[in-house]
Amino acid sequence: MSKKKLLTPLSSLLLLRRTLTSTPHFSIPHFQSRTNFSPNIEKLRPLFPLPGFDFPGKSFISSQFGNKPNSPTAGTAALPLKRRLFCSAPPVGASNPSITPSITFRYLDCKERKYDSVEEHLEGKYKDWQKKLHPDLVHSKSEKEREYAAEQSARVIDAYRTLSKPLARAIYILKLEGVDIDEEETLSDLDLLSEILEVREAVEEAPNSQALNQIQSLMQEKLKQWSNSFAEAFESRNFEEAVKAIRRMTYYERVNEEIVKRQ
Amino acid sequence: MLRLVSKRLLQGSREAQLPAALTLPRLYHERVVDHYDNPRNVGSFDKNDPSVGTGLVGAPACGDVMKLQIKVGDDGKITDAVFKTFGCGSAIASSSVATEWVKGKQMEEVLTIKNTEIAKHLSLPPVKLHCSMLAEDAIKAAVKDYQTKLAKSSNGSSEASPVEKAANA
Repeated sequence: MSKKKLLTPLSSLLLLRRTLTSTPHFSIPHFQSRTNFSPNIEKLRPLFPLPGFDFPGKSFISSQFGNKPNSPTAGTAALPLKRRLFCSAPPVGASNPSITPSITFRYLDCKERKYDSVEEHLEGKYKDWQKKLHPDLVHSKSEKEREYAAEQSARVIDAYRTLSKPLARAIYILKLEGVDIDEEETLSDLDLLSEILEVREAVEEAPNSQALNQIQSLMQEKLKQWSNSFAEAFESRNFEEAVKAIRRMTYYERVNEEIVKRQ
Repeated sequence: MLRLVSKRLLQGSREAQLPAALTLPRLYHERVVDHYDNPRNVGSFDKNDPSVGTGLVGAPACGDVMKLQIKVGDDGKITDAVFKTFGCGSAIASSSVATEWVKGKQMEEVLTIKNTEIAKHLSLPPVKLHCSMLAEDAIKAAVKDYQTKLAKSSNGSSEASPVEKAANA
């Protein structure tokens, strides 16, 4: 008994270690703690290599906004903050009024509208934004400015959620091109449907969590594969293929949701 | 503990297709809830059976899959029907109703079943109309599958006629 007791913490520690090193998912809190404890914010600069991104305490005003004090948006009390927040690159999506303003690339990706290059710096950019918009930094400012910061913070969260998930990002990026995939029509792609039916039955009949995990990793693989085909199709502007890939991803994502529910 | 977990798992697998009815919002009509709680004709037929027609359809927007199968007698009457749906409550209820409605009817007759009738019967809200549409399409697909099979088997038994060859080409 006492032996068992002695062993438990060690084994659980080992287990924890293993999960930390093997699954990328767990590396996020690790990263977070590193940024929180780092006393020298300059060290983080290489993580956010974007024009216009700067850190609290520095001059925020980008040259473009700085030279145009009488821009059409001037006049609101929130402007000083607004000036600091947007990078000099033209906001993507601003040209298309049909897009929900709450989720646009300009918040988290100022450089280019590319499907597969987004993820790399997303995490860092997201945290950088949230640092700038932190309530502690604006608590002494006017109410309008505080409100503005809170609203922008919500939008950044929205944008992060959209861009960090391959499926949501794919749907969004295609929407920017004017292709809406919110389709009501019935699908009769027998290959896909019978595959999904089989997988859903397997999930339903899975005897244990091990079997579920196996299906889940298969789905992750499929998602990755179709995310790549989406990237390819999107790159060559083959939107028909891109929509097809999104359909596949929707179904695989749905299976994943079901597995998570059952786990 | 283990026993508890396994019990839960076992229960889960039995109810997997129909997760707890409690999760259904109250705004659904009692018929939807009824069909969701006690779905009629859940199951599968052998899809290779020549007397079976299989309709497999999906809703791409929400990732639902619906399978509806009919068993057809020599007189062209549907003797039995089953379904298996992985989707929301409305989709399950719609396909459950569909299997009830097609039983005992002629194939031509079931092709006239409209999604609006199913939706009306279940008082589906507008956002769930596509679920009844899915059921209508599943019926049509099942009949079509049966007819294709029938044509093929008659094709195989006799020498393929030039007309049929042309149709296949």
